[in-house]
Amino acid sequence: MLLEANGIQKSYDGVKALTSVSLDLRAGEVHALIGENGAGKSTLIKVFTGAVQPDGGEIRLHGDRVDNNNPARAHRLGISAIYQQPALFPHLSVAENIAIATGDEKLWRRVDWPTRVARAEHLLQHIGATISPDALVSSLSMVERQLVEIAKALAVEASVLIMDEPTASLGQQDTRNLFRIVRELRARGKGILYISHRLEELFEIADRVTVLRDGNNVGTRQIREVTPEELIRMMVGRELETLYPKLDVPPGEVALELRGVCCEPFEIRNVNLAIRHGEIVGLAGLVGSGRTQLAEALFGLTPISQGNIYIEGKGVQIRSPRDALQAGLAYVPEDRRHHGVILEMPISSNVTLASLNHFAKHGMLQRRAERSVAQWWKDRLRFNAPSVETLTKNLSGGNQQKVALARWLITQPKILILDEPTQGIDVHAKSEIYHLMGTLAEKGVAILLISSEMSEILTLSDRIAVMAKGEIVSTLGQKDANPDEILRLALGRKVS
Amino acid sequence: MRTSRQEVVLGILIAFEIVLFSFTGQNFLSLSNFFECIRLSTEIGLIALAATPILISGGIDLSVGSMMGLCAVGFGAMWHDAHVPIVAASLFALALGLLGGALNGVLIAYLNLSPLIVTLGTYSLFRGVAEGITEGSKSYSGFPAKFLFIGQGYIGSVVPAQTIVLLLAIVTFWILLHKSIIGRALYAIGHSAEGTRYAAVPVSRRLALVYLLSGLSSGIAAIVYVAHLGQAKSDAGTGYELIAITAVVLGGTSISGGSGTIPGTLLGLAAIVLLENGLRLSAWPTEVAGILTGVLLISTILLQRLFERHSHAEKAVKRESRSRDIAMVGAMTLTLIAVAFYSIYRHHSMRKFAAQEENGRRRVTIGVMPKSKGDPYFISCRIGAEKAAADLGVDVIWDGPTGLDAAQQNEVVEGWITRHVDAISVSVENAASISTVLRKARARGIKVVAWDADAKPDARDYFINQATTQAIGFTLLDEAARVMHEKGDIAIITGALTAANQNLWISFIKARLENFPNMKLVSIRPSDDDRDKAFSEAQTISKVYPDVRVMIVISAPAVPGAAEAVKQSGRKDLNVIGLSLPNLCKPYVHDGEIEAVVLWNTEKLGYLAVGAPAALARGTFPVGKPTFDAGPLGMLQVDGSEIILGAPMIFRKDNIDAFNF
Amino acid sequence: MKQQLQTTWPALIALGALYIYLAFAAPGFYSAANLRDIALANAALLLVATGMILVIVLGQIDISVGALFAVCSVTCGTLAKMGLPMILLPLIAVAAGTALGAFNGALVSFVKAPSIVVTLATMVAWREALRLVTNGAWIEGLPTTFQWFGFGQQIGEAIIIILTLLVFGALWWSSRNLSAGRAIYATGSDPEAARLAGIPTDQVAFWVFAVMGALTGIGALLNAVRFSDVPANSGMNLELKAIAAVVVGGTPITGGCGNFLGTLIGVILLGSIGPALIFLGVNPFWEKAIQGGIILTAVLLEAIGTWRGRRAVELA
Repeated sequence: MLLEANGIQKSYDGVKALTSVSLDLRAGEVHALIGENGAGKSTLIKVFTGAVQPDGGEIRLHGDRVDNNNPARAHRLGISAIYQQPALFPHLSVAENIAIATGDEKLWRRVDWPTRVARAEHLLQHIGATISPDALVSSLSMVERQLVEIAKALAVEASVLIMDEPTASLGQQDTRNLFRIVRELRARGKGILYISHRLEELFEIADRVTVLRDGNNVGTRQIREVTPEELIRMMVGRELETLYPKLDVPPGEVALELRGVCCEPFEIRNVNLAIRHGEIVGLAGLVGSGRTQLAEALFGLTPISQGNIYIEGKGVQIRSPRDALQAGLAYVPEDRRHHGVILEMPISSNVTLASLNHFAKHGMLQRRAERSVAQWWKDRLRFNAPSVETLTKNLSGGNQQKVALARWLITQPKILILDEPTQGIDVHAKSEIYHLMGTLAEKGVAILLISSEMSEILTLSDRIAVMAKGEIVSTLGQKDANPDEILRLALGRKVS
Repeated sequence: MRTSRQEVVLGILIAFEIVLFSFTGQNFLSLSNFFECIRLSTEIGLIALAATPILISGGIDLSVGSMMGLCAVGFGAMWHDAHVPIVAASLFALALGLLGGALNGVLIAYLNLSPLIVTLGTYSLFRGVAEGITEGSKSYSGFPAKFLFIGQGYIGSVVPAQTIVLLLAIVTFWILLHKSIIGRALYAIGHSAEGTRYAAVPVSRRLALVYLLSGLSSGIAAIVYVAHLGQAKSDAGTGYELIAITAVVLGGTSISGGSGTIPGTLLGLAAIVLLENGLRLSAWPTEVAGILTGVLLISTILLQRLFERHSHAEKAVKRESRSRDIAMVGAMTLTLIAVAFYSIYRHHSMRKFAAQEENGRRRVTIGVMPKSKGDPYFISCRIGAEKAAADLGVDVIWDGPTGLDAAQQNEVVEGWITRHVDAISVSVENAASISTVLRKARARGIKVVAWDADAKPDARDYFINQATTQAIGFTLLDEAARVMHEKGDIAIITGALTAANQNLWISFIKARLENFPNMKLVSIRPSDDDRDKAFSEAQTISKVYPDVRVMIVISAPAVPGAAEAVKQSGRKDLNVIGLSLPNLCKPYVHDGEIEAVVLWNTEKLGYLAVGAPAALARGTFPVGKPTFDAGPLGMLQVDGSEIILGAPMIFRKDNIDAFNF
Repeated sequence: MKQQLQTTWPALIALGALYIYLAFAAPGFYSAANLRDIALANAALLLVATGMILVIVLGQIDISVGALFAVCSVTCGTLAKMGLPMILLPLIAVAAGTALGAFNGALVSFVKAPSIVVTLATMVAWREALRLVTNGAWIEGLPTTFQWFGFGQQIGEAIIIILTLLVFGALWWSSRNLSAGRAIYATGSDPEAARLAGIPTDQVAFWVFAVMGALTGIGALLNAVRFSDVPANSGMNLELKAIAAVVVGGTPITGGCGNFLGTLIGVILLGSIGPALIFLGVNPFWEKAIQGGIILTAVLLEAIGTWRGRRAVELA
């Protein structure tokens, strides 16, 4: 027995986050932790890492009770966490980041640079990362940063490794790589607590799975003794209807057409794409293939160096998000917390931010109209929040995404670009968003769906465009599409 | 809109100030004082109002004060030099403000440069251009009465004219920030500029707008300032940016952006203005206002943190920190109570003292103001003034700006009028700007005397002239000529380029130079009354102009600096002729770097600065007679409305030790 | 290090341009005496700017250094006049500066007050308090051992320059090679990550401000001993110059990285402008404008440098 939690209780302002959760993690096991958003996973993790103190219950490590846990203490005890957003120092080098993580340098000691670099080199090679130890973290991509986080964890030689949605920003290749590392760590006797929403992954990598619901542990099972449907039922508490509702919508006229679009600084070249009204086009590809960059260029956040964009047949010049909005485009960004919503503002303000002009009379904001419209969307999309004045930062990830969606749906776009819309969102909310997409397609909205979740993109899209190294290498119809083919194309091998 | 905790705290603080000062400050709680406060706060208020949306958007603008200087000078130049009608000149000033704001706006909003650094640069640039255009010293005055009404007039003889401007600005900014969609965008930008960009809000445009407005506000403030003081000079608005930011932050606006309100800023402004005004009326020295403002700012932050921690903290942390927080609040409350008690006690003891009857006469109070409290020259005058106060049995309030500041001189006099002192005795920084308020004092029956530097003749009863500026200028040059045997180059090191009397001396030195055809003036450098800077300037002059034989240094703190430079250079063929205090120069005079120090007896000057108004207040002054018995100073000549102390004194090696000031 | 060089080039170019121009237009500038005098006049500025680098790396700012400078100068002068042996003065200077800096640090780190507001408040409070206490009077009649520490001009000047460079070098080295120094960079780069990594970010912030104060104290003393009396209001505009030197030298105001070499160049550049203008016969009235222009140009060049390869300007 490595790590135990017994009867953990935690409330925030009277609201119970954890009712009485008990869990155990064995050495040499990958223990998956799943549950809907708001079920208590992050709170439980915070209790383990010492970021938060429980109101009741205890933690035991190697059988010894851990009292007064705090981040520094947990670190020293060998409990390490890798979060979705890598907590790295952008201005410092990879080697330094790793060294600081190990935290065994006395404050007045002289820094031993050669050792730092050598150790970093060793670790990076071990995990198969081609990153220079002297590179500044700010110059690394998301994927590379994730790998550095893993190197950090290895360096610390933690006995307990908590991984929070580690594959959220990883493509297929990197996910496989990650799993290899995880298996190795398991073989070395580490205990890994693995949190993910991607059920298919769990069946690949986990030994046991614990399901949390509404602050309770509703069950721990051996992974081979359970099916995905059972897990979903445990998470949700009831049978969910079809997760992926795909209605057959006859596509209309061409809504968006890209011809020879290039975006110089991001090496996006010669993109040709057409999306019809009512059509959902999936954009698949590895992380780093340029999908988000393309979307941002379409939306006017970066300039297009060459090529033409046509909306409903008419050529348009998009030089700013405002131009894009006026042309009928809407973009729900990948980085929900920093680009999708403004955390410090209430729901109502976030919902109206892209369409302030419509809530203005003579330039004066009509707050009553704002509140009532926000309320309407709150009901329609079912935000789980006390009121529209609640600050967005207090909402769960799924609800934040709903707010982001509402913001853009208000603008009644002709073309909606969704960039990883269900990343880090629980099954229930995912389903709601899928239903929403279907309804929008029915209404004639053209949807470009960027996603790294294979099943999502396969079931929702009418057509799938595969992007690799800044170009669209192929477009597949729904019938021809399968995961292997997509992966092959994404890796850069064109269809003959 | 919910009233934030900060605003409540400020409200309590303002109430506390009002109650306290109504006890300790004379005539604090009067309608006229209230309106005076509004007058004082208009210019700062305009800038603080414009600063609020900037801070809310996550930026900062340090260039506002300098912008005022540039707009003031542009206005003056247009009207005075180019003979442009006053309305057009005003529009030009506003256009300048917009231009400056646009510069900031483009650099910050479109090029994404740091607002702190950009406005730090424009803070230097604008002030520098203003100084460059006017050669630092030129000041424009003589504006038509209709224009001056904006800054000095009263509507219905009670409400100052600029109140309208302030009210308009308040309404405009309130609508912009709290009602319009632009305001909403600004708050969003303050929370996250990047996130707001993704929301298709034209972030750059919005940011450029607030900096543009800030420039415009500075332009308007400049016009009000010029109308208020009656003069347009490049030093207008010095230091205003920091006061404005203090007011805004005090009002609850966060430096990091995303929060803040116009009412909050107004409350913060009120707190500062009332503090300064109340302290002045309670006869506290002006430094205390500065110190307390600093304390206020820190206390505000402490309180803000207290509230934040209390609401966000976890229960466990709350338990621990609660006792610490209670201790902090307790300490602050006790401090406030202690301050209140001490102030009231002090006030009472002063009142008792003042109420003492002496030979059946009520004790006379005289407000004596130097140009700058920090200048050693005036510090030595103060010694004489205090001696006179003791000898004559009068109460002297010695107060004034800490640096050269014509606007603050006005404020101090206004305070004394409200306090109803018996006499005011002023060393005038700028005649045009202070004369209006001096006339007001005379109209209220207060005796007014100018000393060291004169006001407009009709604004004062008498002027105490230590020596004419011409005599001083001539003496300085004559001494220089004597030392260098009328042959060679000379250089002048002055104080501030904007100091009026120093520039007068320079003009007389230049005039006298015509008597010496073999002598040439090669350079005039400012030292900003800073010893270290004078040192550097003198060092460099001696290298760049090797033929300079004498440096004439006409700022008291600068003389020892220049002399030290000569000493460290080891040169024996270079000398300093200075206008300074003997004590500062003694070692160098004995050593030989300084050949002569030209001055007059500053203690006598200070003595007379109290003696003359005291006599006037008591009615013992021999009006119309050609002489005045100045007690220990002997019989002094009275020439019309000028009392003449004597000729300049020259301190040399042989006589300097006899003097100790 | 490579990154440091990248951001240094605007200042280097500006300095190079100025010095080359001077070589033609006013070669008298290059006398050993003049260069030495510039070095002496700006030694204190270099020390203060060095401290400012650390503060800015941390993501904070300190505009109270001028006031601190004045208080430390007066304290040293007063104690020297009261008979304190000269050998103790450096300790006093460091102690006084550290105490004042620590006050700033306490408010910034433990109360989490924004540094610009804290140092704005302390700047005003210390200046006014100093004026109140001294009445603006200079400290005269100092013992003869005060100037140049009693060692005479030649040795005294050498002491000042060498000591300044030593302290500068020591801090540069420490920022790179001491864990404590790296902790500052980490905290400035991402305070939250630093906290999670076990770095005591509160203490780091506290000590950075304390060190800033100590450096200001030393600078004040090294400046004061160049003269035989102490004025009551020294250090005017020191904060502006220090921040300008650091920024012009390529340290981003956002924190996380610091450029020591660039700051040294920045100090030299800003310190040379005044004398250069005199040598070039330029009207002194334009000095402030030129200073402002340099700051803006430096920032612009820096922005242009990082512009390439990043997304273009949004002209919305």
